[in-house]
Amino acid sequence: MQKRELARAYIPRQPYVRLFPLREALMRGTIFPNLYMPYREKDR
Amino acid sequence: MDRQRCELMRELQEVSFALVELNLFLDNNPTNQQALADYNMFARKYEELKKMYESLYGPLTNFGYAPSKYPWQWVNEPWPWE
Repeated sequence: MQKRELARAYIPRQPYVRLFPLREALMRGTIFPNLYMPYREKDR
Repeated sequence: MDRQRCELMRELQEVSFALVELNLFLDNNPTNQQALADYNMFARKYEELKKMYESLYGPLTNFGYAPSKYPWQWVNEPWPWE
């Protein structure tokens, strides 16, 4: 992170890898496995 | 609402969610051919499910998509959200 400037937003390209099965996607809130990052209970 | 009707509604919701997701991805990656192919596949699937639902249970929206059978169907209950 040292080379990052303050207050710059960045968004890496999202690779198109695979999709969740549709029913699972609706339950998880995204169809993209690489965007699925739920908060864990212990992080709260 | 009977089970088959609920199941069909659920499938419609799943496919439309997939379409929203791919819609957003394609906004950022408009030349991704695999994503586009998947989008088009889901769009056809959605059309198919919508026709099936509407022919069995009546219109899903108030206008623009499905012609009405006689008599006028928009006065019939239950609506998809009921």
